[in-house]
Amino acid sequence: MISVRDLHKSFGKVEVLKGMSCEIAAQEVVCLIGPSGSGKSTFLRCLNLLESITAGSVIINGHDLRDPKLDKIVVRKDVGMVFQQFNLFPHMKVLDNVMLAPMKVGKRARGATELKARELLEKVGLSDKADAYPSALSGGQQQRVAIARALAMDPTVMLFDEPTSALDPETVGDVLEVMKRLAEEGMTMVVVSHEMGFAREVADRVIFMDEGVIVEEGKPTEMFDAPRLERTRAFLRRVS
Amino acid sequence: MGDYLQYLPPLARGAGMTVILCLIVAVAGSLLGFGIGLARASSIGVLRWISAIYTNFLRGIPLLIILLFTYFALPLLIPGAVFSQLESGAIGLTLFVSAYIAEVVRGSIESVPQGQYEAAEALGLGFFNKFRYVIVPQAMRVMVPPWVGILLAMIKDSSLVSVIGFVDLTQAGKIVGTTTMQPLLIFVFVGAVYFFICYPLGRFGRWYETRLSISLARTPDALQVLVPAISDLIGSEPSSDLGGKQ
Repeated sequence: MISVRDLHKSFGKVEVLKGMSCEIAAQEVVCLIGPSGSGKSTFLRCLNLLESITAGSVIINGHDLRDPKLDKIVVRKDVGMVFQQFNLFPHMKVLDNVMLAPMKVGKRARGATELKARELLEKVGLSDKADAYPSALSGGQQQRVAIARALAMDPTVMLFDEPTSALDPETVGDVLEVMKRLAEEGMTMVVVSHEMGFAREVADRVIFMDEGVIVEEGKPTEMFDAPRLERTRAFLRRVS
Repeated sequence: MGDYLQYLPPLARGAGMTVILCLIVAVAGSLLGFGIGLARASSIGVLRWISAIYTNFLRGIPLLIILLFTYFALPLLIPGAVFSQLESGAIGLTLFVSAYIAEVVRGSIESVPQGQYEAAEALGLGFFNKFRYVIVPQAMRVMVPPWVGILLAMIKDSSLVSVIGFVDLTQAGKIVGTTTMQPLLIFVFVGAVYFFICYPLGRFGRWYETRLSISLARTPDALQVLVPAISDLIGSEPSSDLGGKQ
């Protein structure tokens, strides 16, 4: 589903990704862990073209992201993204946040879109907040709306960029619960997270990144209980 | 008193001319300024470059010179063109005002956080939809107060069109003041008329700001709507937290 070969990304002279390769299969849940500045978020942002790719190849659902003739919108319809800072549209009610993309990009009818949007809000446990503005919601609620908004385009892959890092501890659980259910339903997910508990419980595979490369990857049990490399062990000791 | 009533019609005509001129300039200057402001904030280098020259150039020249230029020089540059004093004045003021509005539009668009652009893009919104539904509505909040301020200043600056012989309110006041030998009285009257032209625009600006802040209020319940309405009535500022947080 996602195939990354020798991906390089530089910002000016600073090389952030130094040749990453990985394959992510349909319905797989992959957690990216690693110290800050290791390139996790940059990698995620390359997958939906928020960052241009310096070298290497990324192919998602058969679309080559470096093809100059590529329509970015076709890829982005297929790839949902959830941000650390939620980035809800503050001037729109929750329901309108969820409906905007299907109406304007998917060109779907209002009635069907609204029905779908309300279903998604129900799914993230916020059907009673449809008419509220984002600023009236807690961080955790906003993030769940952001998940519903990303799901409204029926993506085949969901990217999560530190979805719980900006949240109060007591609202983290609700967001992780929604993500867990999504994983159980078979959504392909790539998650950058510091929630080791979530990675251990939900992920099919954990990738440890450092300094722009993949250092080690494996099943959560292998990675957390018996990491092979000292760098991985050092990192896990620091975060646990 | 009866003697003065005969001078009301020329003053009223002048006031009417000022209102017509200002309406034309407010609409044309806003549209032009908005377009140039978008170009200033765009990611296309050529557009940014041309619009930067436009705004910096026009903001660096006195309005008086612009008005003299559009009246005397513009017809020479466009062979066969004949402009009335109203047209020349309107063109000059529009150019002047649009440059200031463009800067306000640029600044307010750039004030929208980067995350909003990214969220819109990640959802697959194209350039037009992104600006139409996500960026511009948020920029409007920041844009409207200074925009109204520029238009208010423009109404008063419009008195400069008397240099090209256009009989607006100020020019009418000058003529009547000289005829009656009562310039002080006439100019107090003229000043009052300017005030009553400007006041509704200022009120509109306040009303629009309140409306925008309500739509972003923390909870859209009755209290949030009532508080600004009441504070409006008693003439105090609505509390700042009505703007909600981003």
